[in-house]
Amino acid sequence: MSGVIDSYIPVIIFLIVALAVPPVLMFIVYNLSPRSKAKDKFTTYECGSVPIGEAKIQFNIEYYLYAIAFVLFDVEILFLYPWATVYIGHGITQVAVVEMLLFLVVVLMGYVYLWKKEALKWVK
Amino acid sequence: MNIVDIVYNPWFSGIVGLLLIGIVFVCAILAVWLERKFGADIQSRIGPNRVGGRYGILQGVADAIKLFTKEDLIPAKADRLLFVLAPIIVLGSGFMMIVAIPFGAIVIGDNVYPIAATQMDISVIYLEAVSALSVLGIFMAAYGSNNKYSMIAAFRNMARMIGYEVPLGVCIIGVAVMAQSLDIVVIAKAQSPLWFVFLQPIGFVVFFISILADMGRLPFDQNEAEEELVAGWGTEYSGLRWGLGLFGEYIHMVLGACLMVLLYLGGWNLPRFITDIFVLGSLMPIFWFVGKVTIIVFIIIMIRWALPRYRIDQVVNLGWKVLFPLSILNLIWAVALSLAFDMIFGA
Repeated sequence: MSGVIDSYIPVIIFLIVALAVPPVLMFIVYNLSPRSKAKDKFTTYECGSVPIGEAKIQFNIEYYLYAIAFVLFDVEILFLYPWATVYIGHGITQVAVVEMLLFLVVVLMGYVYLWKKEALKWVK
Repeated sequence: MNIVDIVYNPWFSGIVGLLLIGIVFVCAILAVWLERKFGADIQSRIGPNRVGGRYGILQGVADAIKLFTKEDLIPAKADRLLFVLAPIIVLGSGFMMIVAIPFGAIVIGDNVYPIAATQMDISVIYLEAVSALSVLGIFMAAYGSNNKYSMIAAFRNMARMIGYEVPLGVCIIGVAVMAQSLDIVVIAKAQSPLWFVFLQPIGFVVFFISILADMGRLPFDQNEAEEELVAGWGTEYSGLRWGLGLFGEYIHMVLGACLMVLLYLGGWNLPRFITDIFVLGSLMPIFWFVGKVTIIVFIIIMIRWALPRYRIDQVVNLGWKVLFPLSILNLIWAVALSLAFDMIFGA
């Protein structure tokens, strides 16, 4: 019925609306809402006591391993999406399935390695 | 040009499709009300009972009006740009999901006209991508507000999302393998005689848990965690700015239920003898779809009020060490099953 690009025109329209709605709402709030004169209202909330230091801390380095693992697996899994649509009915079924199984074995080897290295363990 | 061409013209469907945002908004407001009323019932409290009759059904509207008259505060230490942009991204990710989700369909004879703003050939990848954006928004909110509670919530939240995005993706591939398409409309249609939940029970369980975690719902809630982190990412937010973020989360919940119905629970498909009833039969698939989504939303809310919250290390462990292997297992099972189908029914 329509080209590939055409199917993204509604996405653009929605994107514009999504970006436009919150500023309009905030403009209405700006005109409706009261403003108190208190100065303490701008302090960071920390259960009532005066905040100590900054919150922008450096997090534990082990946390980084999760991120690496996530990027690896998510990118690898991404290769399976196009595969899923073509592996049957194009005369390549056997090759495609065997290749996918090999691919999964490689992915799982990495997974087992990560597990054994305790990269998937949350550090207390 | 006949009427179908006009309705499926991308400019027309894009602009009229904006009505879907309104409908989802109403659904989300109802979901907020349902969460409060139903949660109150479960805990033997009364819950909302003043605005809009005995059952307080207009409570959400009243809350929204109240939020409009609240003072908008940006803390002195906050990073203003991140702080302002974050709710827009959380809400925007919900908006961008609405584009590609078909909310039921009108069936006339053999023709199926899905009610969606657009029909893409890769809509499941698109949906996964834009739904993951909301985590970015939550992280920006927490980092921008420069608050310790928010910061801890943000880091945990990221770890949670990272752990569950991979099984979620593999489950979606398991479904795509059976339908041999990445188009969510084709996937929904492929479940015409048999729902995928019966063909891939493991996949459904993994998908259900993952999407529950992905939406940040209890028992995997780490972005708010009221009991220990005050309000998580929303600690420094006030008024409508907070409302937008929270509302974005409820929109995600409703849309997550829609995805579950479309990918595993048979979408809008009804047997032919029902859809052949004049006029009413054509509209029945919509009611069928909405009914299933409502039941799923009910279940999600019930789970929230029934179960305690997991610790973060338990959440992450479950995602990486249980759900990921199970989802791979489900993928192999799905491939084997569709190969068997192909051999039996194929050409």
